[in-house]
Amino acid sequence: MDASTLETTIHPLLLYVACAIGALGVVIAMPRKGVSSAIIGGVLAASAAGMVILGLLFTRGTDDHAPNLFFHAFAILALGGALRMITHPKPVYSALYFILTIIASSGLYLLLSAEFMAFALIIIYAGAILITYLFVIMLATQAPDEGDEDALSGYDALAREPVAAAAAGFVLLALLTTMMFRGTGALPVHPGLNGSDAILSQLPGKVEDSLLSSLRKEGLMESAEGFARDGETGRLVIDSAQRRIQIAGDGEERFIVVPEEMWPEYLVGTNVEGLGLNLLGEHPMTIEIAGIILLMAMLGATVLARKQVDIEEEAKARQQRRLAVEGQR
Amino acid sequence: MIDLISGTFSLAQAGYPEAMAASTLNQYLFVSAAMFALGLIGFMTRRNLILMFLCTELMFQAAGLSMIAFGRYHMNFDGQTFVIFVLTIAAAEAAMALALVVLLFRKRESLDADLWAELKG
Repeated sequence: MDASTLETTIHPLLLYVACAIGALGVVIAMPRKGVSSAIIGGVLAASAAGMVILGLLFTRGTDDHAPNLFFHAFAILALGGALRMITHPKPVYSALYFILTIIASSGLYLLLSAEFMAFALIIIYAGAILITYLFVIMLATQAPDEGDEDALSGYDALAREPVAAAAAGFVLLALLTTMMFRGTGALPVHPGLNGSDAILSQLPGKVEDSLLSSLRKEGLMESAEGFARDGETGRLVIDSAQRRIQIAGDGEERFIVVPEEMWPEYLVGTNVEGLGLNLLGEHPMTIEIAGIILLMAMLGATVLARKQVDIEEEAKARQQRRLAVEGQR
Repeated sequence: MIDLISGTFSLAQAGYPEAMAASTLNQYLFVSAAMFALGLIGFMTRRNLILMFLCTELMFQAAGLSMIAFGRYHMNFDGQTFVIFVLTIAAAEAAMALALVVLLFRKRESLDADLWAELKG
């Protein structure tokens, strides 16, 4: 692929018109006094996003991993959830729509072969962080009065500067997409398989497990036998040219030849193995920093939210009287 | 071939199927950029303190999506590793932000950000 420009990726007019329509849709969907128009705005914004995605589809090359139905479903769910989150007048519903966005993005992570992160996202974000947010929202939001359940706090029912904010946001979106689409063509098309060839050389245990299970399954080894180990290095005693491996049983040691189809040449590391090796092997210092940040956050949150519980004098006296009455019984 | 003694392997790439085209990457980047823009708009328009912080979480999420997409395109795990740290920072930020919000709520009995307008200096 030659160095692509914006024009070969998507028609610029289409992109900018879609950004303008999207901005209009977001402005219409914003909470305001009077009629609620979230549906019209949502449809407008969704059609704008659909225009860009369709425009990108027309210029895609032949690619087995081109976005399929699942990508479009998850993308629409994620963007729709995000739009509804920033426009819904009730804070609890906003948080719930954000959970929808999180789950849809974890679906996108799955499409990108990041299985571990997809489930970590659901567990950490949707399971822990968002529930904390929901808890604080429910703690700090006054219940509506009896009779009028639609009564909302004034600051939730009215957006601040929706036109200016939407204009700024969508100008940013237009600039971001312009720069990104211009840049992706210059990326190396087939970069090296960094960190993948080396993974299994660091996972001899995985190779050993594979050999052991396949040899035992075929009856070439007794279940009591294991692989002999070199006295000095602790590695397996193996002759890879002839595919011979030394077995240590009870007392006797022998070599067996591993059949070719059992030779674990096509073992691949999984996502979790690769991620773990990358995390601990190439970025060990960041784990320490993350630990320090979490510790600081914990201390800071404790100090900030601490409060002397001072019961009023009257309430204290009332409680003492109640206790005294209960004590006399 | 496998050589356990010297530790050299020539194997299929681990964890990832074959490479992804740049046109596919573009679609994920667009979704990520749109999500980021929505988070920015939400941060500017909402007047509820908690929802403003929730919108920053949406922006974190958008950044994470583009990092995972780039990691998939380059077929290494650095993007996923960074997303782990984004999650860590998001958790720390949630703890601090919610403690702050609880503190501010006690002072004014309201979550309206405009009540703190004198902080603009």
